[in-house]
Amino acid sequence: MKNEFITDERIFQELKKAIAETLRLDEDAIRLESSLVNDLDAESLDFLDINYRLEQVFGIKMARHFVLEHVEEMFGEGSAVNEDGLLTEKAVTLLKIRFGDQIPNLEAGMDMDEVPAMITIGSLVEGIRDILDALPEKCTHCGASGWTSEDGLRVKCASCGEHAVYPNGDDLIQEWLKKIQEERSIF
Amino acid sequence: MSHGPNSRRRVVVTGWGMVTPLGKNAEDTFQNAMKGKSGVDQLTSFDPTGLPCTIGGQVKDQWLAEFEAGKDLRTNKFSSRALRLMRAASHEALLRAQLDTSSFGGRMGVALGSHGDNPTVDRMAFLQRHMGPDGTWDLKGLDGAGGYPFLSFFQRKPDVGAITLAALFHCKGPTLSVSSACAAGAQAIGEAAFLIGEGSCDLMLAGGAEATLDFVGLAGFCLLRALVEKYATPQTASRPFDRRRNGFVMSEGAGALVLEELEHARSRGAHILGEILGYGSAADAYRITDTHPKGLGALYAMRAALKDACLAPQDVQYINAHGTSTQQNDLTETIAIKECFGRQSFEIPVSSNKSMLGHTIAAAGAIECVLTLMGMERSVILPTINYEHPDSKCDLDYVPNEMRRVDHRIALSNSFGFGGQNACLCLGSFEA
Repeated sequence: MKNEFITDERIFQELKKAIAETLRLDEDAIRLESSLVNDLDAESLDFLDINYRLEQVFGIKMARHFVLEHVEEMFGEGSAVNEDGLLTEKAVTLLKIRFGDQIPNLEAGMDMDEVPAMITIGSLVEGIRDILDALPEKCTHCGASGWTSEDGLRVKCASCGEHAVYPNGDDLIQEWLKKIQEERSIF
Repeated sequence: MSHGPNSRRRVVVTGWGMVTPLGKNAEDTFQNAMKGKSGVDQLTSFDPTGLPCTIGGQVKDQWLAEFEAGKDLRTNKFSSRALRLMRAASHEALLRAQLDTSSFGGRMGVALGSHGDNPTVDRMAFLQRHMGPDGTWDLKGLDGAGGYPFLSFFQRKPDVGAITLAALFHCKGPTLSVSSACAAGAQAIGEAAFLIGEGSCDLMLAGGAEATLDFVGLAGFCLLRALVEKYATPQTASRPFDRRRNGFVMSEGAGALVLEELEHARSRGAHILGEILGYGSAADAYRITDTHPKGLGALYAMRAALKDACLAPQDVQYINAHGTSTQQNDLTETIAIKECFGRQSFEIPVSSNKSMLGHTIAAAGAIECVLTLMGMERSVILPTINYEHPDSKCDLDYVPNEMRRVDHRIALSNSFGFGGQNACLCLGSFEA
């Protein structure tokens, strides 16, 4: 269900804080359209560091695998990336559906290693939004429906007070892929 | 191309830096050592109450903060405290050498003696809270509590120091990580000099760093009974070669040198501060926690360094001793020196910087190498302080309590590590 307790603005704010701490940057240097790799000079471990921080803040589990890795797992080797490590047409179609304008220069034949560099802060905000909006209808602890939040970050059951348990990021990506495949039969 | 008598290219020192319990840089440390000051005090880095040794040589946090102010600290999350100290020492060394390291590509490398951090008690306790009595992990609970701080993985790895320095200072040549306890700093310098001498590169940032003044770091050495337990004041606890010595004082610090091939240094008009004339390394191959009773490994290392420098024992004018203030080391080191230098050993001043600094473990060899070179440059031999009660078995000239003004041009610097890993550097003032 749509998570009404946490605003996009709040997600961006917390993301900026996590990135600033990880990369020792001024928060003002971080904009929605910034690329973590190209503009902010993040290295691979920084992604993990940022993810960990966000997981603590929102009580979520970020995806550990990029969407293309899930495609390869679900639809077979070569479905997203050819044997030379280049993006297939199908992969580009899929990424455009998922990221829209967040990753503007995508094209088939591009090296898959270039894709993470194109990830913007904006697309991360959307990734977190997706997880937060997967808030279950009912509390997994007591079964009651009705959530509350005191701080606009962590959502609690209004009845038993336990924190909401969100599906993890990887599972959500797989669910989304199933849905897209059913609707459009890309692969 | 200039070659030494050993037919390798000559390796000179063009920069040095250090952070020690006696000072935030090489000059402050040397000045305080000349005055015979002690950098040892009650530990404040953690609460050592209950341990048999509660003193150590700490670097002031304020010095590190001053250095780091305004710097890009992105690598700090990977960095142990030792590495942060080493960055400061390296920065000083490179400034002194007036080097723009980004211009050398693969011709400049890094060699670092270091060990990585111990796991802290807090972190072990944190993990323990998530393990059931039957030994199974409550991974969900661990995760919910924030997960294990995964970046500490890097702070514990002994290889991360060298590569981080390489990245920070753009050194694309060979990187070498040396983990040989108290011999590490000297070995890093010796091996780095070999790399330059044989032509693998022209410059090396070399040295050692250590900062483990924490419960786990101290407790281990306490259990071995290696740390000092009886002393009147912290400042008088480290007393190498004194009859009443009863263990070493653990300290933290970092020492860095810029080593450079002679012609390379000349061609850029660098000020040459000294020369690495030779290096020797040898193992006791005896026991893990006892030194060889006759100091054979130490003897072999000193002989190897002299042979490498193509010098005879009578050429040596000063010995910067390992001199830890343990019963065993100081005795076997004395025996080894006497065996190496014969009757002449009574004529050579031998002093221990550890009397003032305590034992900076992996940093010691590097700090002492620099202090030896600084002494040569200024015709000063640093003292062995707290020398009050002569030991009939340790009967060399230990330069007791007061520094001495003596011209000297060739010296040995000894570093003998736990388990019998021994290194010796033969150092010289530069002569064209």
